[in-house]
Amino acid sequence: MSELTISQATEYALELLGKSGGIAVGEVNDSANIRWANSSLTTNGNSVEQSLSIAAFVPVDGGTACGIASGQIRTKDDVTKLVEKSKASALAAGVAEDANELTSGSAKNDFHSPAANTDLTGLEQVSKNLGHIMQNSESEYFGYSEISTDTIYLATSAGIRARFEQSSSRFELCAKSKDRTRSSWSGQSGISLSDVDVSKHAKVVDQGLVHQLNKVDVAPGKHTVTLSPSAVADLMIYLMWTASAREAAEGRSVFSSRAGGTRVGEQLTSRKFNLTSDPKFKGLETINQVISVGTSTFASTFDTGLEIPAVSLIKDGKLSALGSSRYSASQAKLPFTPLADNIIVSDANGEGDLSDLAARMKDGLLITCLWYIREVDPQSLLLTGLTRDGVYVVADGEIIGAANNFRFNESPVGMLNRISDAGDATFCLPREWADWFSRAKVAPLTIADFNLSTKSDAI
Amino acid sequence: MNINPENLAAVALEIVGSAGAKVGQVRVARHDTRGIALRDGQVENVASDSSIGLNVRVVRNGAWGFGATTDLTESGVRKAANAALEMAKVSSAVSTDLVDLADEPVHGKVSWKLPVEIDPMQVPDSEVIALLKSWHEKVSKHGAVHHVDVQAAMGKDITFFADLFGNEISQERDRTSASLTAVHVGENGFDDMRTCAPPAGRGYEYLLGTGWDWDEELSRLPEYLDEKTKSPSVEAGLWDLVIDPTNLWLTIHESIGHATELDRALGYEANYAGSSFATIEKLNKFKYGSEIMNVTGDRNAAHGLSTVGFDDEGVAAQQWNLIKDGILVGFQTDRNIAKKIGLTRSNGCAFADSALHVPIQRMPNVSLQPGKEDLTTNDLIAQVDRGIYIVGDKSWSIDMQRYNFQFTGQRFFEIRNGKIIGQLKDVVYQSKTPDFWGSMSAVGGKQTYLLGGALNCGKGQPGQTAPVSHGSPSAVFRKINVLNGRAEAGA
Repeated sequence: MSELTISQATEYALELLGKSGGIAVGEVNDSANIRWANSSLTTNGNSVEQSLSIAAFVPVDGGTACGIASGQIRTKDDVTKLVEKSKASALAAGVAEDANELTSGSAKNDFHSPAANTDLTGLEQVSKNLGHIMQNSESEYFGYSEISTDTIYLATSAGIRARFEQSSSRFELCAKSKDRTRSSWSGQSGISLSDVDVSKHAKVVDQGLVHQLNKVDVAPGKHTVTLSPSAVADLMIYLMWTASAREAAEGRSVFSSRAGGTRVGEQLTSRKFNLTSDPKFKGLETINQVISVGTSTFASTFDTGLEIPAVSLIKDGKLSALGSSRYSASQAKLPFTPLADNIIVSDANGEGDLSDLAARMKDGLLITCLWYIREVDPQSLLLTGLTRDGVYVVADGEIIGAANNFRFNESPVGMLNRISDAGDATFCLPREWADWFSRAKVAPLTIADFNLSTKSDAI
Repeated sequence: MNINPENLAAVALEIVGSAGAKVGQVRVARHDTRGIALRDGQVENVASDSSIGLNVRVVRNGAWGFGATTDLTESGVRKAANAALEMAKVSSAVSTDLVDLADEPVHGKVSWKLPVEIDPMQVPDSEVIALLKSWHEKVSKHGAVHHVDVQAAMGKDITFFADLFGNEISQERDRTSASLTAVHVGENGFDDMRTCAPPAGRGYEYLLGTGWDWDEELSRLPEYLDEKTKSPSVEAGLWDLVIDPTNLWLTIHESIGHATELDRALGYEANYAGSSFATIEKLNKFKYGSEIMNVTGDRNAAHGLSTVGFDDEGVAAQQWNLIKDGILVGFQTDRNIAKKIGLTRSNGCAFADSALHVPIQRMPNVSLQPGKEDLTTNDLIAQVDRGIYIVGDKSWSIDMQRYNFQFTGQRFFEIRNGKIIGQLKDVVYQSKTPDFWGSMSAVGGKQTYLLGGALNCGKGQPGQTAPVSHGSPSAVFRKINVLNGRAEAGA
């Protein structure tokens, strides 16, 4: 169909960019999904999407400029147009303040291997198993499952020719009673759907509906809560997205010090709490080189190709690093800290699973997941959002029923020094942010005085 | 990429028609975007993107089938058409929810274009950068401003729709947006304030002053920010609110726009975006708000982000009532779900954000109508003894059935005895949808009416984003729960 493959297109783009150089990133995404509602399949899809992104570096008075253009390509002419567009944008942009030498590299043997196809076996199995559970007449099922494989071709004018391949999977099951007075949820993320046990998820959501038969009226206010790994992940991902070295150094972040500079080195909690990102973490493996077609306070186009190491943002409760590019790190006077596309949250004293943690909580609320999380106040990193699909009332270590839902107003930074207990980190699906960030291994946490600000009537 | 969409569509329709599909639709869609961002006067990014693809959608044996491709050759289109037929076959075996589309007149070969003065995709990057730099200069020279972020984004959609009924619909629409955020860093921390200019279905002329007075807003922004940093923190409790359309559009979006989506009421979004308290049996009965509340849905408002000539199922743009005199009287539909509740025609809300995505029911422009009396915002403020006038949107969140919401804003002016006496900070307002709209005691007239909106409304799995506008006058709401953002954080 095409005059040139996507890997050939990246090299052709570099040829056109010439001496001044730049980077070219080709991406092929092969994905498939099914969606169901009211215990019936509603939509499904299977698509292959391809794009080429070019960052042109152009010498200008006083330094180097950078411009970016992306699009689909079929012919050499398409590549030429993108390169011309990116060069024109660079000239218009003027000197890039983050301009830096590209790291050098070599060509990997698999660079011209074709893009990977998504394996549909797992999705077909999920579909088949869903058919069995949907025959349950006691409740109705809703949900979504997808498998996606990205093949990324990175070519830089400093010699790198690298091919990356990574898959992401997602399974979500929501059950509702037929009278729509009860609702529960279970989810799983990973790199394949082959290990999704639909019947196990069905048991979890069905059990949730049983717990919800006993409704317990709980008033809003500050409560001791146990947050599931999914709920903790959604809060900590937002914390990580906010942990920019440059923003902190400029005084415009929760991680800014009132005395000037950043809060790096400050003890945020007395717990042995850890928040890390590691591209080689077993089970959450992800791309271990910077690929940034675009610049932000976290990443610079000019850093493309540099290795991403394991990074501890919070180590033993202390803020130990903030995310940065080489340029923003120099502005913040902190070490260069690129972040990988995963999150690992643990507590060295954590023990047991979510149910163990709830049992140790004795009295409080067990929260299944959070929804519609948004920032209210950047200074404290106050976030708001809702509890969803299961707030269980725990009394003397046992679930005795379910409460209504709540709106929370809470800071993921402020709540760290109110952690009273933790479980073992487990792989989980961050429900709110899964469209953008799904690689997570996170511990459930018990938090004292969690601010459940107002009541929500939503089911 | 030079393509002939008519020829590609003909290939696909021949295949699906011959196979006996009851419904056969082909959409070719090209989406171009560009974005420019400056941080403290330095260009951070200049980027553009373009995508094009084709999809084929069929109904066979009561089930949808969908095939999409970026391979715009005859063989690519053939594959997509056959994939759609195959998917319909597979789906019909496991679907109990049969597809039956509401009728729509055949419109034949037609074209529609959103009127713009300056094509936003044709303006040189250098010209946009120069404009944004001038905005930076204007704001950053104020002593209270320590950082300035400026960005502009523009987009163009060019689509072609054809079906087995003989429609051949060509459309083109543009959108333009920009914002500037000024940041103050002081001894007591930091604060920021953003411009209130909404994204609009306009060309580049919008950034030059057609439809928004940028000079006026940019010249006042630093003073507003300076005043805000020195203002008292709000006392939590019940307050009367006068809400400006620059803020109220978002409350309309979340508490009315999404709540009156029929696919949510039917449960199709229950796992993701959620369902709605506004269920079908409440139609023509449910008291959504006070008697002065009149809300319409439309896909034809001038400069609306959801404005089109025809939706993605070939349904012509319309305007209809969603809430009349405070009563729920309508929903947003596509052709399939319209039929499910007995409507004879869809009101044209099918939309897909890419050729590779299935069209789903998406939000039209949903707008609160101005009052019969031509009250100004100052007239409304004069009605309030102790209250807050809220301008500009910021934080937003609402629950999965669209009951409990919480919003903040850009500027909060304290009202005492009908007059503004200064700014407050840390204001957060929270309510329950029917309570909030039930408390609306007055709406401003046409002169207060403004079309707000967003480029990034999210819905569906896999996720799709849609641009949408919301018209609103200023309005008064009584005894609304106001929280103090700092106190909520325990500060």
